[in-house]
Amino acid sequence: MSRPEEATESKENAEFRREVRAWIAANRPSDPGFKLPQSFLEVESDRQFEFLRDWQRKVYEAGYLGLDWPAEYGGHADPHKRQRIVSQELNRAGAPFLVNVIGLQWAGPTILAYGTEEQKQRFLKPILSGEEIWCQGFSEPGAGSDLASLQTSATPSGDGWVVAGHKVWTTLAHVAKWMILLARTDPAAHKYAGISYFLFPMEAPGVTVQPLVKMTGEGGFNQVIFDAAPMPKDALLGQLGQGWQIAMTTLTFERGAAEGSGGGSTAPTGESVRAVTSLARRMRRDGRSAAEDPVLRDRIAQGWIDEEALRLTAQRARVPGLNMDDRPLATRLMNKLVYSEFGQRITELACEVLGPDAGLWLGDASAPDKAEWPRMYMNSFGMTVGGGTSEIQRNIIGERVLGLPKTK
Amino acid sequence: MRLDVPTDFGFTEEHALLRGEARRFLGERLPMATLRRMLDAGHRFDHGLWKEIAELGWLGLVLPERFGGAGLGWLHLEILMEEMGRRLVPGPFLGSLLAGIALEQAGSESQQAQWLPAIAAGERVATLALVESGGGFDADTLTASADPVDGGYVLRGRKTHVVGGADASLVVAAFREPSGHTALFAIELPTSGVSIEDEVSIDPTRPTARIGFDGVRVGPEARLDGPGGAALAATQVRGCAALAAEQVGGAESVLLLVRDYAIDRKQFDRPIGFFQAVKHPIVDMMCGVELARSLACGAAAALDAGSPAAEVHARMAKALAGDVYASAVRKGVQIHGGYGFTWDCDVHFYFRRALWSRPMLGDAIHHRRHLATLLLDAD
Repeated sequence: MSRPEEATESKENAEFRREVRAWIAANRPSDPGFKLPQSFLEVESDRQFEFLRDWQRKVYEAGYLGLDWPAEYGGHADPHKRQRIVSQELNRAGAPFLVNVIGLQWAGPTILAYGTEEQKQRFLKPILSGEEIWCQGFSEPGAGSDLASLQTSATPSGDGWVVAGHKVWTTLAHVAKWMILLARTDPAAHKYAGISYFLFPMEAPGVTVQPLVKMTGEGGFNQVIFDAAPMPKDALLGQLGQGWQIAMTTLTFERGAAEGSGGGSTAPTGESVRAVTSLARRMRRDGRSAAEDPVLRDRIAQGWIDEEALRLTAQRARVPGLNMDDRPLATRLMNKLVYSEFGQRITELACEVLGPDAGLWLGDASAPDKAEWPRMYMNSFGMTVGGGTSEIQRNIIGERVLGLPKTK
Repeated sequence: MRLDVPTDFGFTEEHALLRGEARRFLGERLPMATLRRMLDAGHRFDHGLWKEIAELGWLGLVLPERFGGAGLGWLHLEILMEEMGRRLVPGPFLGSLLAGIALEQAGSESQQAQWLPAIAAGERVATLALVESGGGFDADTLTASADPVDGGYVLRGRKTHVVGGADASLVVAAFREPSGHTALFAIELPTSGVSIEDEVSIDPTRPTARIGFDGVRVGPEARLDGPGGAALAATQVRGCAALAAEQVGGAESVLLLVRDYAIDRKQFDRPIGFFQAVKHPIVDMMCGVELARSLACGAAAALDAGSPAAEVHARMAKALAGDVYASAVRKGVQIHGGYGFTWDCDVHFYFRRALWSRPMLGDAIHHRRHLATLLLDAD
């Protein structure tokens, strides 16, 4: 089963893809001999982190990160927009992920859009190299789906600000140097208008990072307590009170509804269903190959249909002429919802393909694929909840794309 | 299996013109009130509408220019079928389309020259007789037979669900020859020994018929020259891509009806679309429509590129579009509540079309079975 894009790609891009593929094959790190995180949601130990950061630095030094970012900030200003090719090849090779996900995909593009010249000069290059890791301080214990009700405050103090409050689900906070932080700067204003957006230094005094344990039993997911933590005046991104608007931009990147990533990707490539097909061929069920079971065949075929529909929809979203003129935003805004829900369905299907072996967990010597499938299925909820739950996505699409009455 | 849909496919100015023209023409010519009047009057076939559609070039859209067609691509047809699906265009269009494709696939130059110009001009209504009672959509399930006799053939068998069968003056039908191979025949109607019986179609906009071949004698020229099995398979791939696009269009219309109703209809002092139990299924409907549309465009792009993956893409498109349409009309009736249960609400017309077209040319179960063979068993 060959890959979709290649047959019809421009000669230049095909050549670039071959070059990237060869580079990954020659340079990807070998198995470190310890358990690696499946995603950035579960970087627990220092050795895991250093291993992943070394890999990102290597990819960066090879010139494969920030391809689409301006050259003056460490990027390559590639007119061919080839970052996507790098991301696809990294995914396909099953190479380790680029650990600075929040920097590359969310904070970086947001700083590019709203930052001052000084902020762009200061922050973007170390994001690409992995030298400075970023985390995100949006959600709070009392502000999840209703994000705008957040209570963490930033109060002017001397020449800067003082932060007080509590953020949760702060992936990578334990290794991050910076945080994109939403804080209330005007408690008297309307809840959306009173929020500002900051680039917060995690080394500030008064910051406590406490680990949270995910449903997989793994850490890497944190909460952050701010006890009169100071930050300088120029930590503000954009205008005072513009935080909600900027946060929506970040979430647009986070949800894959806009391109601009410095590296890494969540776009569907057809890899998941290929992997499940290969799994079915390896597993046995009722005395024959699981790939011969008629019901599983039907469901895997549905997986192929779904993933191809997602891939073509992502492709269509990039071509304005291919979208319905009366609904131009639809294909972009639905991306996160349909892709994360597909990820959940396909990993759940993989667990069914596993049969009784779905009951084996990380560390079992005979677990097929080292029990990565049940781990992925559990982790898929990080995708259907994080960045705005599927339910919130449906509200957004219903209201913004279809014009249905607002829930809030 | 290759899945190499061109990455740079897209709609050009020309495609946009066709969409604009089709939407404008059908919007003016076939508002729901007009369609209802036509159906109430019991007209099975509107000659005026057929002539207008012929003049727009739609009857020969993908047929070669040298035979009176417009020679346009499958992405053009995708657009046209979506627009026609949106308006539930009544009549034998689908039959004419499939017959034209089959003739182009299997007919010799002279056979094509004989039939295609009249089809493209709308002077002759043609149709494809494919399904047999209890049979499926694979050529190896055919039981109708063609036996050579006196330099010609004798045809026997019964075909069902023939679109526009009672209005057609040419039927292309598949028969099994004594060798076991499939052959396609083009038979002018009326012909002695061919019986045509109206079916009561669930979808009044798509009248169908049963056609019996009771020892029909035809000359050798009636047998299309090319290999029938391959031509039939190619016709079905193209038919699936086209019907999927029509289903996407129909589901789109239901989505818009439901969206508007959820904004207009008030209960508990609010538009019902405020409630997430109503809002969320409508969003899921939209996502389904967009995903199926991507596959329909992908199938068309694969056909335009002459890609061997066209079969996989057409099967995927037909499978998903059929399910998406079925789900859209189910939610469509439910969200319209008591009104949705009435004849007055337009949704049931789409409901009928969705029920009719889901199994036609193979339903999702059928296509997933084939896809599993193509994708799970091949390397």
